[in-house]
Amino acid sequence: MPVDSFKYLPGAIAAYYRNLSVQREEPIPWTPLSRPLNECRFALVTTAGIYARRRDAPFDAEREKREPMWGDPTYRRLPRTVRQEDIGASHLHINNRDLLADVNIVLPITRFLELESEGVIGSLAPTSYSFMGYQMNNSEWRQRYGPEAAGLMKDEAVDAVLLTPA
Amino acid sequence: MLARIFEAAGLSTVLVTGMPVWSERIGVPRTVAVEFPFGHALGLPGDRDMQMQVIRAALALLEEGRTPGEIRELDIEWPSASGGFDEAKRDWQPLEPSPIVKMMLEQRRRG
Repeated sequence: MPVDSFKYLPGAIAAYYRNLSVQREEPIPWTPLSRPLNECRFALVTTAGIYARRRDAPFDAEREKREPMWGDPTYRRLPRTVRQEDIGASHLHINNRDLLADVNIVLPITRFLELESEGVIGSLAPTSYSFMGYQMNNSEWRQRYGPEAAGLMKDEAVDAVLLTPA
Repeated sequence: MLARIFEAAGLSTVLVTGMPVWSERIGVPRTVAVEFPFGHALGLPGDRDMQMQVIRAALALLEEGRTPGEIRELDIEWPSASGGFDEAKRDWQPLEPSPIVKMMLEQRRRG
C-alpha cells in the first residue's frame, strides 16, 4: 500500500503541492554509516518549531504574522535532559496539542534515551535541534543555519541523524 | 533539504516523513515513509510501541541502506477517531489558520 503524500492535505493545498516542480540536484549526498549502530552517536532534528522554554525564545511567529511569506529560518537546541513540561511550540501551521502532550512524536528524545540504555545505539548526543518547517525560501537553511547545525553536531561527535519534518 | 546538507557534511541521515513525494523530488539519502498526519512523524502521543516501530524501521534503513534515495514505506495504519478520516484530516490543522492561509483566503474574498 503506497504512502499517499497528499492524503491529509486540504484540496487546494494538495493541488498546489502536486503541481510544484522542484529542481533536483544530483548526485544525492551519501555518507555510509561509519560504525555499527550500537557505537553510533545520534542527534535528532525536527522542523516542528519546538524549543526549550526556560532557555530559549520561541521562533518569531509574530514576524510571520506580519509577513506571511516569511518563516523563521533559525533553529533551537534541545538538550537530551529536556523535559516534556519545558517544551514550547511555535509552529503556526500545525495543531501543537499532541506534541505538547508527548514531544516524542516529533523529537523522540525519551525513545532514544531508552535505546541508549538498551545498548541498541551508542548514545544520544547532548544536543538535538528543532527548525521551523514553514520556509517559502530555504536559502538561509542552505547557506547558514543548516551548515551551522551540522557543524555543532560534528563538534559533539554525532555519527547519525534522525530527521522528522513536521 | 536539511537531510542533504547534513549528509554532505559527513553525517548519515534518515528521514521519517508523511510526504515522501518530497524525498523523490529533491533526492533525499534515506527515507522512511509513514501515512500519518502532519506533526506526527513518529506516531501517536503516548504510544511507545508505535513510536519504537517507526524508529526501528529508520535504524534498519540506516544500517542496511545501500542506495542513495531509497524510500521504505511503512504499512502502519493511523487509527480512525470516532469522526473517521475527515476528523483526522481536520485534527492536525492549526486551531487558527496560518498567516499565509489567512492571506490567501482574504485575497480570494476580495478577488
